Amino acid sequence: MAAYVIRRLWQMIPTLAGVILLIFFLFNWVGGDPAQVLAGKISNPEQIANIRKQLGVDQPYWYQLWVFVQQVFTFDFGRSWSTNEEVSKILLTRVGPTLTIMVPVLVIETMLAVAFAIMVAYVRGSLTDRTIMVICTTAMSISFLVYIIFAQWLFGFKLGWFPVQGWSESFSRNLLTYAPLPVMLAIFVGLAPQLRLYRSFFLEEINQDYVRTARAKGLPEKQVMMKHVLRNALIPILTNIGIYLPGLFVGSFLLEVFFSIPGLGREIVTAVNRSDFPVIKAVTVYLAMLTMFINLLVDVMYKLVDPRVSFK
Amino acid sequence: MHLAVTLLAVAFLAAPAAQASAAVEKKVLRMAFRTAEAGFDPQRIDDRYSVGVCENLFEPLLTYDYLARPVRLVPLVAEAIPEPQEGGTRYTLRIRPGILFADDPVFKGAKRELVAADVEYAIKRFRDPKNRSPYGWIFEHKLVGLDELADAAAKSGRFDYEAKIAGLEVRDRYIISFKLVEPDYNFLYLLAMPNVVPVAREVIEAYGADTHAHPVGTGPYVLKEWVRRSKIVLEKNPNHRGYEIDARWADPADEWDRRALDSLRGKRLPLIDRVEIYPIEDEQPRFLAFLNKEHDLLDETPFSFIHQVLPNGRLSPGLQALGVSAYREEQPEFTYDVFNMNDKVEGRENPVGGYTPERVALRRAMILGHDRDREIGVLRKGQAIPAQSPVPPGVVGYDPAFRASAQDYDPPRAKALLDTFGYVDRDGDGWREQPDGRPLMIEYKYNAGSQESRQLAELWSKSMADVGIRLEAVAVQFVDLLKDKKVGKFVVAGSAWIADYPDAQNFLQLLYGPNSGTSNEAHFRLDAYDRLYLRSASLPDGPERNAVYRELNRLLLAWAPWRLGVHRIFNHLQYPWVKGYKKHPILYTNFKYLDLDVAARAAASR
Repeated sequence: MAAYVIRRLWQMIPTLAGVILLIFFLFNWVGGDPAQVLAGKISNPEQIANIRKQLGVDQPYWYQLWVFVQQVFTFDFGRSWSTNEEVSKILLTRVGPTLTIMVPVLVIETMLAVAFAIMVAYVRGSLTDRTIMVICTTAMSISFLVYIIFAQWLFGFKLGWFPVQGWSESFSRNLLTYAPLPVMLAIFVGLAPQLRLYRSFFLEEINQDYVRTARAKGLPEKQVMMKHVLRNALIPILTNIGIYLPGLFVGSFLLEVFFSIPGLGREIVTAVNRSDFPVIKAVTVYLAMLTMFINLLVDVMYKLVDPRVSFK
Repeated sequence: MHLAVTLLAVAFLAAPAAQASAAVEKKVLRMAFRTAEAGFDPQRIDDRYSVGVCENLFEPLLTYDYLARPVRLVPLVAEAIPEPQEGGTRYTLRIRPGILFADDPVFKGAKRELVAADVEYAIKRFRDPKNRSPYGWIFEHKLVGLDELADAAAKSGRFDYEAKIAGLEVRDRYIISFKLVEPDYNFLYLLAMPNVVPVAREVIEAYGADTHAHPVGTGPYVLKEWVRRSKIVLEKNPNHRGYEIDARWADPADEWDRRALDSLRGKRLPLIDRVEIYPIEDEQPRFLAFLNKEHDLLDETPFSFIHQVLPNGRLSPGLQALGVSAYREEQPEFTYDVFNMNDKVEGRENPVGGYTPERVALRRAMILGHDRDREIGVLRKGQAIPAQSPVPPGVVGYDPAFRASAQDYDPPRAKALLDTFGYVDRDGDGWREQPDGRPLMIEYKYNAGSQESRQLAELWSKSMADVGIRLEAVAVQFVDLLKDKKVGKFVVAGSAWIADYPDAQNFLQLLYGPNSGTSNEAHFRLDAYDRLYLRSASLPDGPERNAVYRELNRLLLAWAPWRLGVHRIFNHLQYPWVKGYKKHPILYTNFKYLDLDVAARAAASR
């Protein structure tokens, strides 16, 4: 296993290099000139040149790329070009609110999706199954934005069950007061596609020979479903959660904007709008690294879930 | 009977306690900004929300009277408004002794008095290349010796703050004299800008790169808490000397003035103990937070909710029942579309550029063909007035009698003009060609990130199609649009300008030839215009200067380097417990002039 992990870690280096190159070229060829924004509404070419010099974007491309690589390995991305705030501080202060929303979303959504999926898979073809699938399809066809606008108006303003928006310095207050509505919305929207997907995983397993054998042996249905079907379906479910995990740290931009949550998603969009390259670089690189580590973790967990899996 | 006596006794005993509780209850004002702030180093910012916060943390030498309309300069930390000397090239001000900066650890427990050297230092900061000051241009070619100092700093990489220059003469502890490169009768407006404020050098040097987070000024408030782009908390500055409302310039016929004076006269300002500001970019949560009474004010009611708030131009019955007031503000700004006046764009012929009769006719026809009525009625939901000149109402030099019929929506006139100058459809494809028979295709660049810009671009395409002109709307990133306009890489593009100071000059400089490549996005160069502009700059406010402004407006209409758009109207809402409200056209915030009836708010929230 150690050899496998080392090999996977080694393989991350070219992937990271690809990510660095991609970000660098996208920023320099597609992104706008940040000096134009920072210069204010009246500026002359000398001022623009001065700003470009201070930002280092007047340097040769190879040098800028070298600085970028150094930043990746020292984890020091300097300061934001638009606010002068340290990039590390921006990320550290923003990740908390994002996780306060996204971790409960992931946990509750996964539990509900797995529970409902195994239930509807068990009663496949029944009225319950069909009804739930119709509801899921309908729910999926409506924009997230519509849910947010409607729920904010209904539950926040009209019924007054939750605050319309806001965030505080207290974790417990955020979790109990400000987070519930955005969390519920995210679960409601995310549940339908997850449920449909997990249902298909369970159906595939239910139709396997080993399930038929288990039933023929006279095992109780509960044991068949919970011990055999669930365990085997967990591998694709884990893969799906693994894909979803890095998104936790980026959060949902729409939720953060509509509910005034000072999270990473909102910060990233602001950074893109302001051509704030240090923030964009840091978030993208960290996210790429996180994705790679989570993929590795998921692969290791396969082994724990299914002893038949071997590391090669 | 015993029970009644007991209850009475309890009520009697409880009453003073309740009163005491009300007496100590802090007056906390809550509101939202529609855009996130950047920071609070006054010389390093230009967004109106950051500047709006700085208005409360710092104090310029001069400011504007809260109630006077049209706006009127009044002294703030200066003792008086100075008279121009030496033909409008020298202004000398004396700072009031005894004004203190807010306490800060940098001062090591001592009280720090504001002195003239702080003003000198702050103005030099605008030209220090290291600060990348977005408002550096206001002191460019302005003060004797300052450009040379800035040029030397650009070469050496170090700004010499110790160097004495003739343009900034500190005569003693409290007196500073400004010597200008050329006469400027609008110079005092610069000294009233909310970011042209004195700062303490030791504070700026101590906080280095973090000056945005450590604003230390002489203003009525201090920055108590700042969660970037999420929450800004201001609290009263205990070192502040306080203000009193000046009733001299109030209009007795103006209801807002009367209400403000009734609430504030004789009181020591500021009255609000704490201000909490929440940047909320999206319109719905900002609007609902106000309706939910989470916020006391709603600045700039979102256009998408205007029909709910002001159906048929009157405050909705629901809001009236809540006692909400709406302040209608014609902002000192205007929107416009710029025609690139250069003959070529990126080496290719520019179909709208140049000064020949047929090009002038084409631009004028495009203006006449643009459906501005629809822009105001549909896109802006009636919350705008058509601009007759670039100078908005409320700005010195605005002429209410000036009418620009050349900018009216008039498709038949547009078609006739095009026909007269040979812009006709020669090949029968439904689109007009150029007089020499070449195809006529006009490109309109707009900000891809703005829904409003996209709608305006669609309106351009449709309006031009109606008069037979093929116009292609091209979406570009905002930063690219800025750059393209500066370097002349566009044919037609949208733009807007908001007053930095309330004088027509601030708007008319947008077509001054030497400003091409900076603020003159049209790259308009007309000797007659430049001569008149320079003449206007050398004249004090008065009928002679107004006549020059009128002539500049006429030249603009004749040569048509712009399509004049609109002056936007914003509606600001307040609950009845907010007292003393009046929106100032130049200053963004008015916290120091407000009061709160906390008991009324508590009663309304129950």
